[in-house]
Amino acid sequence: MSSRIFYVIYKEFIHIVRDPRTLAIMLVFPVMELILLGYAVTTDVEHLPAVVLDQDLTAQSRDLIEAYRASNYFDLTRYVNSEEELRRLVDKGQARAGLIIPAGYGHDLKKEGKAQVSVVIDGTDPTVATTAFSAAQTIAQAQSLELAQEIMGLDPENLPGVSVHTRVWYNPDMKSVNFMIPGLIGLILQFLTTLFTALAIVREREQGTIEQLIVTPIRPWELILGKVAPYVAIAFFALGEILVIGVFWFGVPIHGSVTLLLALSVLFLLTTLGFGILISTIARTQQEAMYLSFLTLIPALFLGGFFFPLEAMPQVLQWISYVVPLRYMLVIIRGIVLKGVGLRILAGEVTAIAIFGIVIFSVASRRFRKRLE
Amino acid sequence: MIRRTLAITRKEIIHIIRDPRSLTMMFLMPVMQLILLGYTATTDVEHLATAVLDQDRTQQSRELVDAYRASNYFDILYYVRSEEELARLIDEGQAKTGIIIPTGYGRSLTSENQASVAFIIDGSMPSVATTAFSAAHTVAQAQSTKLIEKVYGIDVEAQPGIDVRPRVWYNPDMKSASFMIPGLIAMILQIQSSIFTALSIAREKEEGTIEQLIVTPLRSIELIVGKVIPYIVVSLFNLIEVLLIGVIWFGVPINGNVLLLLALGLLALLVSLGIGLFNSTIAGTQQEAIFLTFFLMLPFIFLSGFFFPLEAMPKVLQWISYVIPLRYMIVITRGIILKGVGLSILWDQAVALALFAIVMLALAAVRFRKQL
Repeated sequence: MSSRIFYVIYKEFIHIVRDPRTLAIMLVFPVMELILLGYAVTTDVEHLPAVVLDQDLTAQSRDLIEAYRASNYFDLTRYVNSEEELRRLVDKGQARAGLIIPAGYGHDLKKEGKAQVSVVIDGTDPTVATTAFSAAQTIAQAQSLELAQEIMGLDPENLPGVSVHTRVWYNPDMKSVNFMIPGLIGLILQFLTTLFTALAIVREREQGTIEQLIVTPIRPWELILGKVAPYVAIAFFALGEILVIGVFWFGVPIHGSVTLLLALSVLFLLTTLGFGILISTIARTQQEAMYLSFLTLIPALFLGGFFFPLEAMPQVLQWISYVVPLRYMLVIIRGIVLKGVGLRILAGEVTAIAIFGIVIFSVASRRFRKRLE
Repeated sequence: MIRRTLAITRKEIIHIIRDPRSLTMMFLMPVMQLILLGYTATTDVEHLATAVLDQDRTQQSRELVDAYRASNYFDILYYVRSEEELARLIDEGQAKTGIIIPTGYGRSLTSENQASVAFIIDGSMPSVATTAFSAAHTVAQAQSTKLIEKVYGIDVEAQPGIDVRPRVWYNPDMKSASFMIPGLIAMILQIQSSIFTALSIAREKEEGTIEQLIVTPLRSIELIVGKVIPYIVVSLFNLIEVLLIGVIWFGVPINGNVLLLLALGLLALLVSLGIGLFNSTIAGTQQEAIFLTFFLMLPFIFLSGFFFPLEAMPKVLQWISYVIPLRYMIVITRGIILKGVGLSILWDQAVALALFAIVMLALAAVRFRKQL
């Protein structure tokens, strides 16, 4: 029996090795994704290109421009002479924000202690716009406070007030990489195993070689195990790759137990391999298998909390997210890597993926056996 | 020549129709992506689950908790009795933030007009943590302002200062659906059609039917054009589908010229067909074609400004982004749909796209002919 499984594994390995380009892609894929996610995914926007329309040209207006420049949020790269010019630059996307200081600004500020400026913000990207919006106001507030202290003679060190000492846990620098890399582990595990298992089985069906396998004494479950084993190995290799690069290159700290992480990943693979086998029993062509895999991967990507916080989604989607297994796995991986928590805290999530794994895998293998017979 | 091309087109349409499930998927996939992106792609978090450890239990401490509650950012769900309990709730993820008001808070506020509290934030998700961080400070600042007004008997509103009037252009409500939908249109044009093309040719190779096509009097250009026509139609249909749902369901306004959008969309399609053909000359099997497309898809998604602003990325990645055609198409779709600008603003993006189309198609055609 074990030798029969071994032969299926051997055969699958030959398939993989004969197609070195796919193998290379499988191994390079996680690294590339890691680098892209590590460097490209950042929502902390600084140095937004911005233009200035200074219609006032006084010492006061220059002070304000200096304050905006010093904030690091805005790169005041260009000075324009008219609103049309400003509009054109923002239309072109060469500037994301524009500071308009009207004539009389300095005069008003000196005489009445009050003045008004406009900040134009390109709202297309809400994340960028929100940052720019609040930065614009914070800078002006700080300027106002200085002004008030000057005029009223208040001591800024000794103002009445409630001070908040914020302590950020788990990821004190709030680095995106620390958040993305644990998530990527879950995503890659699901992506590689589901898609590859489905494709590997459907290919045999499309080419008609599955019949040859059926007439051999191999039992269905031996066939399944043998076919998925190489992909499990590749998935774990990818997991190791991500962990090593994440820790050594990106400096992501692993606070919890790596052994626990590996053990729970195996549990999670029951679900993702189950999806792959299930898809292979439905799809007749590789193209269909690819689409069906997407059908499980895309909702997982968005409803698993990989990119976007679940809390910010509409209630209906939050309910749907409860049937997305990746949701639980991401809580587990982030819990172990970032929070350093163990089974005691993660018991609920572990139970959930165990149930998903058992249900999906047994349904999948039953359907698979039926299709063979 | 046209007759032979059309014959190939007919053959491809038969292939497509014979596989109704894949056909359904071709049309359903964009809708699913649209709905998911339209609803889930948002980081403006409100109502964060919050635990309070009130060791002070005075009127002042209750006022502070009420101020946090009233801010809409924090849902005070738990009152705990110890720091351990608070830590456990945050460890479990039941609470994302915790407020600790120490004993003596109320007294020091009444006697010295100053007091401090601790605010704990789960930083594992930076976008959520940043929001919580600034909200925590904003609420405390508002409380401080009230206190200043009371202590000095002044009206802060009437105080000297600079009044900033932010005006948000193009997407005044800062809705993420408005941001995502134009990007999605560009992405569907770019990625879906290149997968279709690559797969349809790789399938012929894998099944060996490409040899049969070669021995016919068909020229390679006829073969290519004939094969891609159905997918151009499918992609244009997808584009219209996404536009309609975006406008009618998500209320995204189209401020620019729809015809210009379709015309430039066609240009983007040519680029992606070029990429698909090129991939098909590299890939020997469908599996390879699928992975190759995936492999390209990732840089496309991340380095095009689709999700994340290019300005925030390291310089090297910004340079790489110039060779990603999706980058230009996204500027175009967002420009036309959200900004309502025309060719006078977008001409350079259109030129870049046209160059990509010419280069990719030429490269693909040369390689394709060689292989045949």
